[in-house]
Amino acid sequence: MTTLGWIFMTASLVLVWGGTFWCYKRILSTPQEEKAVSGFGP
Amino acid sequence: MAEHKEEWGSRLGVILAVAGSAVGLGNFLRFPGQAAANGGGAFLIPYFCALFLLGIPIGWAEWTMGRYGGKKGLHGAPMVMGAVGKGSLARYLGVLGVLIPLGVSTYYVFIETWTFAYFLKYLTGGIGIVQGTPITEQTAAAGQFYTSITGAGADGSLFTGGSRYTVLSWVVVFAINIFFVFRGLSKGIEKFVSFAMPVMAVCALIVLARVLTLGTPNPQIPEQNVINGLGYMWNPDFAALSNFKTWLAAAGQIFFSLSVGFGVIINYASYMKKEDDVALSGLTASATNELFEVGFGGMITLTAAFVFLGVSGTAGAVATGSFGLGFNTLPVVFAQMGAFENIIGAVWFFMLWLAAITSSLSMYAPAVAHLKEATGWTHLKSTATIAMIGTIGAILTLWFTEGGAFWSTVDFWVGTYLIFLLAMVQIIYFLPIAPAYLIIVFVGFTIQSLAEEITKSWVTIGARVGILTILAIVVYLVVVTAVGERRLRASGLDIDDNHPAD
Repeated sequence: MTTLGWIFMTASLVLVWGGTFWCYKRILSTPQEEKAVSGFGP
Repeated sequence: MAEHKEEWGSRLGVILAVAGSAVGLGNFLRFPGQAAANGGGAFLIPYFCALFLLGIPIGWAEWTMGRYGGKKGLHGAPMVMGAVGKGSLARYLGVLGVLIPLGVSTYYVFIETWTFAYFLKYLTGGIGIVQGTPITEQTAAAGQFYTSITGAGADGSLFTGGSRYTVLSWVVVFAINIFFVFRGLSKGIEKFVSFAMPVMAVCALIVLARVLTLGTPNPQIPEQNVINGLGYMWNPDFAALSNFKTWLAAAGQIFFSLSVGFGVIINYASYMKKEDDVALSGLTASATNELFEVGFGGMITLTAAFVFLGVSGTAGAVATGSFGLGFNTLPVVFAQMGAFENIIGAVWFFMLWLAAITSSLSMYAPAVAHLKEATGWTHLKSTATIAMIGTIGAILTLWFTEGGAFWSTVDFWVGTYLIFLLAMVQIIYFLPIAPAYLIIVFVGFTIQSLAEEITKSWVTIGARVGILTILAIVVYLVVVTAVGERRLRASGLDIDDNHPAD
């Protein structure tokens, strides 16, 4: 494997793994609105 | 009896469902072949350009359209696009958003059946490759099994003798699909993908770990090692970037992989909650797909093939296409793994089956939604009707198997060409950004393949039946849409978006 091969592979893997982790972190760290229990809402 | 309003159970549910729809066999089998044949690591430059300039923006447009339609109580692609495009023309063009997934499902479930059949065989002792025999004999054994499972030898061969194994596997796979579609969004599809996606990731990690620890299996051929295998996939050839075909191949891969221009996202997003973030949801689903494609597909398939088959063997495997690589070559590669053969084979094909079924589930859901919406039928009646259409399509697929004529014809026209067309429609109508890019890709694709395909499509009976099947589904869906248009308009629903929602 050439140096450029390592660079392309590493950059691509960092992008896809990093991007996925970042997205799921954002999704899971944002609180989801609770569903109102029927009969107790305004 | 009024049916309850369908909705995703959680924000993660719709993301995993869209990601599950996107992650399919192409992530593991098509992507590495395309990359290796179009510049290796350099292919990732046009690939990521297409991802950021085409795939993600069109995906966002579909997510936004879907949620907008959902706010107005519309869920099928024709009605959603009719509302967003404010009229009947957009509505009838939206029929493509049901035709594509339904048309693709006719043969996709057949291919899904192969993965299931391979998985069961590996679980119960393997597919008949004898370890230690010459590679040519092992390849012949793998080819023989492939032909018997796919019926590629002759039309009708799957309905005779021992080949009935495929038909029985199809019955099981199709029943599982219909069961989860019938269970509905949150209780069926969401529950299944919430289990399937993490399991798929674990399976991919197991296979990846095994492949990366293969080292140099044959010390007499030291150049056939894991590092050189990765190099085969990733070493960049910048000369490929000056070839238009490379950019076309990258855009095509993004389209097929992300399920954009497919109609599924519009339908799935229409069931989102009002407060859900469309941009982050779309980005997360795309990122998940890329993880499976680049992070796993780009690391596993060709590396494993190279370590055992070398440069020429791997190039030959790539030349046989995605199915040749996945179903013919990789079983031979697994056979070189000694005691691990059946375990890795079972894990690999189970993973492919999960990838396929999470995609096929998403192909039935838009059609069921459209039928319910247009006709006012119950979920049960709509699901049963789609199951019947799916069965007719499957019988044709299972019968006309010689050379894969039927399914490859439907694949070209519906699963390839119409996807570009729907994406074009969506861009022209709803997303006036970077249209030139897509138009160039579309025209290039047309020039490259359409003339050849038109001639080819009439050569065999299977291909002719494929074309007629597509036309029959088109007529059916147009009639259903016309019925729905009249019914929903009469019921007072704002299907032409005369009073825009917030």
